[in-house]
Amino acid sequence: MQRLVQMVNPRGLCQNQLHLIRPLRMLAHSDIRTPDFSKYRRDRNPDKGQEETQRKAFTYMIAGGSSVVGMVCAKSVVNQFISSMSASADVLAMATIEVDLNLIPEGQSVTFKWRGKPLFIRHRTQKEIDTEQNTNISQLRDPQADSDRVKDPSWLVIIGICTHLGCVPIANAGDWGGYYCPCHGSHYDASGRIRKGPAPTNMEVPPYQFGDEGILIVG
Amino acid sequence: MALGNTVYNLLFKKTSSFMLTVAVGAFAFERGFDKLTDYVWESHNKGKLWRDIKDKYE
Repeated sequence: MQRLVQMVNPRGLCQNQLHLIRPLRMLAHSDIRTPDFSKYRRDRNPDKGQEETQRKAFTYMIAGGSSVVGMVCAKSVVNQFISSMSASADVLAMATIEVDLNLIPEGQSVTFKWRGKPLFIRHRTQKEIDTEQNTNISQLRDPQADSDRVKDPSWLVIIGICTHLGCVPIANAGDWGGYYCPCHGSHYDASGRIRKGPAPTNMEVPPYQFGDEGILIVG
Repeated sequence: MALGNTVYNLLFKKTSSFMLTVAVGAFAFERGFDKLTDYVWESHNKGKLWRDIKDKYE
């Protein structure tokens, strides 16, 4: 008894605490012997660290392998969801138009349909270019220099929607010779800027660029 | 087996290198898996693909 107490608590317990510890005694079936499990135990070979590493390598290989597959699956799910938000091929095909500028004579404004809206492409004369470039910006309702609205001074590309209530203006009309909206009488100049009438802002310039051989790409 | 030890000590022992292994492995696995499934699909559909019949129409 005393030896057991010393085994459990090497510092020794107080005498009045001794009753708390009882030796484990089998009071019945004391003839049953403990089975021998040594056959089922992990091999206690001298190179135990080696065996442990092998076991861990296998465990982590399984964990890592399923993580790899899981990551690939998660990536493809996210990819599917995000790519479903992007525009489909038919929408992208309609989003851009190409215009052959060689077919537009000087001084003419031609209307195209672009993303469901009218698009004005105007081949400006030298006189119009000079007039628009020399306009005093401070007098304008929506001050914007002509050079900010065109990439090539000969070509004006604007969305042909009046900024007042969305009518389509008439080309080569109005007091400034640019565009005139018949609905409520807004006058635009040859740069698409509002000069007179109820419209609050200039007509919108879409994104465009010049391609090869006089091709204009809008969108 | 020495290979298991090397693999464990190099790749799996530190969490950071384990995660790196998983990320690099995911990249390699995806590429390999895509190549393999493409190859299987294309060899199954051999003769029906556009690149097989293109010379008839051009």
